[in-house]
Formats: sequence, C-alpha cells, structure tokens
Amino acid sequence: MSRCTLRNVRFAGMATCVPKRVFHNVNDAPPKIRSERERLARNIGIYTRRLCPEWQTFSDLAFEAAEKLLAELQWNKADIDALIIVGQSPDYLIPATAIIMQDRLQLPQTTIAYDVNLGCSGYPFGLHLMGSMIAAGAIKKGLLLVGDRAGEEKDPLFSDAGTATALEFDASAPPMHFDLNSDGSGHKAIMLPVGGHREPVDVHHLIPHRDEGGYLRCGMDLVLDGPAVLSFSTQRVPPAVEGLLDHVGMSKDEIDYFVFHQANKMINDTIRKKLRLPEEKVPSTLRDFGNTSGASLPVTMTARLHDKLAQGRHRLLLCGFGIGLSWGTAIVDIDSGVFPALIEA
Amino acid sequence: MVNIEQFIEQFLAAVDFQDPVEVNPDTKLADLPEWDSLAALATIVLFDTEYGKVIVGPDIAKCVTVGDLYALLG
Repeated sequence: MSRCTLRNVRFAGMATCVPKRVFHNVNDAPPKIRSERERLARNIGIYTRRLCPEWQTFSDLAFEAAEKLLAELQWNKADIDALIIVGQSPDYLIPATAIIMQDRLQLPQTTIAYDVNLGCSGYPFGLHLMGSMIAAGAIKKGLLLVGDRAGEEKDPLFSDAGTATALEFDASAPPMHFDLNSDGSGHKAIMLPVGGHREPVDVHHLIPHRDEGGYLRCGMDLVLDGPAVLSFSTQRVPPAVEGLLDHVGMSKDEIDYFVFHQANKMINDTIRKKLRLPEEKVPSTLRDFGNTSGASLPVTMTARLHDKLAQGRHRLLLCGFGIGLSWGTAIVDIDSGVFPALIEA
Repeated sequence: MVNIEQFIEQFLAAVDFQDPVEVNPDTKLADLPEWDSLAALATIVLFDTEYGKVIVGPDIAKCVTVGDLYALLG
C-alpha cells in the first residue's frame, strides 16, 4: 500500500549544513567550455554549488547539523531512540555510517542505528520510516540524517549537504500523509555501475581519459540518462502529487508550500507548470545550491523557509524523486518547529 | 496544431543555443553544433508543455532532421 497516514508524530525541527566552499559552474569551469556552461547553467538553473573539500564527508556535514539541532531543541541525547541515515555517501562501504554516528554524536548504545540506501527521493521515505516507528509506539524520539556528498567539479548538477530532522511522539500532533513508490525497471537511469558485486572494480575501470571539456573521467563515474530521468520526473511526479491530495481530500490551496526535490530547472519548472502551482508557493534553491540529492528538501526548507517554519503552523507538501527509480510525497504540518539558519562548515 | 515555421521558432527558443543557427525542415540535427543532451531535454519539455505530447529519448534519437522532430507531433 503506497499511501498511508501516520498519527502521533510531531515534526520537531530541522537543521541543514553545507560546505563553505562555493564552486561557480561558469567562472570556475575551464575557459574553453565556459560558453557551453553558460547555456547549461541558464537551462538547469544552477549557478553555484557547495562542494566538500577532500577531507570532508557527508557525515561531517550531518554531524554539524545534528549537534546544532539537538542543542536548539534542548533534547537530552540519552532520550534519542533511533538514528537513521538516508543517503548514498557512506564514510565506508561497511559498516553503516549511522552506527559510527551513534558514537560520534554520543548517543546511547540503546539507539537503533542503520543506513537506508536512497538518494534524491529519500526524504519522504525517511520521514515515513522514522514516523512509522514513532506512530507504532516503538520509539519516542528519532533523528533522521539525510543528504549526500555527490558533488564534483566536473559535473554541473550535484552539490553537497548534510541535514538533520527531529521527530517525536506527540499524541496531539497533526497527521502526516504519504504516497511512496518504486520502479526498479528504471534502475539504469542513474547508477554507479561499477564497484558492487555485479561488476567489481577492476584495473581497467580506473584508467582515466580526458573528456571534451578537459575533465578526467573513468569507469567508476556515475552514469545518468538525462532524457530518461526527465521523462520519469515530469510524467510520474505531477499525478503522484495530485493523487495524494485527492486521497486525503485536500485542495492545493490548503498547502502553504510545495517543496520539490531540486533536480534541475527544466524538470522543476515542468512539474510546477503541470501542477499549475504559483511560483511563490514553490521555493527553489537550485540557483545557489544545485541538486543536493536527498538533502534538497531540507536545504530548500532551511534556506528559504526557516524563519517562517519556526513560527505558527504551516502545511508543506514535500516531494522527492530520482535514483531507483523512486518517488515519494509527504504532506506534513509543522507547528513552531526548531529551524536554525543554514550552517556552513 | 502548429505549422512547421512556428515549430522551428519554438524549437529554437527551447534549445537555447548560444550561437544563432539557420534552421529549416531539412536541417540535420547532427549538423547543429550545439545539438546535445541538453537540447534533447529541452525538446522533450517543449513537446510536453507546449503541445501536450509525451515523447521520450529514443523517439528523438530516431529523428535525423528538424522535420522529423516536427513529424513526432503526429
């Protein structure tokens, strides 16, 4: 059953951390491809991205976000029952990064901790997973760390971010509604084909070659079928959003903000137009922060809405979509949550 | 239904080439210096949002000329 409603789950707050390092898609590109990059930046809507320096990982960013959030919430770390990471940028291939973070964040050893391997679609799935444990009465307080270190200088889309979201049991909390879907027939649309058991790393995968822009590429790189991803996103997302709204009997007017995964401008504009949503209700961070994978919903909520979400009650529709293929939508009411301003580390 | 001249105008606006090009129905896509994956994405979006017609990457890959793209409007 892809649609469900969770009760007794309060969205307590969120913090987002991005690297300090700003990379400009046009000015920082090799001079001979700058003209091409101008056209690309204009059409994908991404001008600057945040890239981790060599030493920095996703978990470093998520750690900063989690510490800030816990401090502002004034939560006792001993009360945290679960720590789930949703992302595809582990510190090591094994063990799970969430377990390492249990120790690093000094959470109790009674903490449930594991990683969930989802990318751009991950945020609603993470809310649903942690929310389900809380709604079932299995845990009281949970911390969800979502994001990736997917950015590279040579590829103009992806940007790095780590985020933390706090959920807690509250019998008076408004319901959360979900629509969650998977289509594995599209798994080749975005993939790292090498490095798993189907195609283990071999010497030939490591031999780099220079592409037309002068960037080094090799068989270890991400493969992305742009037209397939665009078709998937623009065909599947609008009906999923409308389907969930219909299912719960809400009109678009009852939603204060529609926050979509920040894929690229072409995809996001098409989705917004197909759903006939006014621009002011659809915040965007593509221009400044690019595509931050699963972190893009928290990045956008923090960078564009954090002061609003800290006061009063707002209803958000959150929609993530991408690698898998996988797409999920959540309708969440946030009432005076803790939303610190964007952190840079 | 747009005519071919209107289509070419909208097509050029969509693909947003940096350097202006002369295009007619017989122009081969491969001869357009900036015909690339971005242009293919823009073409898919143009068909979807302007003409309400869903096309996918392989449909575009089969097209040789600009006229072939227009014919996808069916």
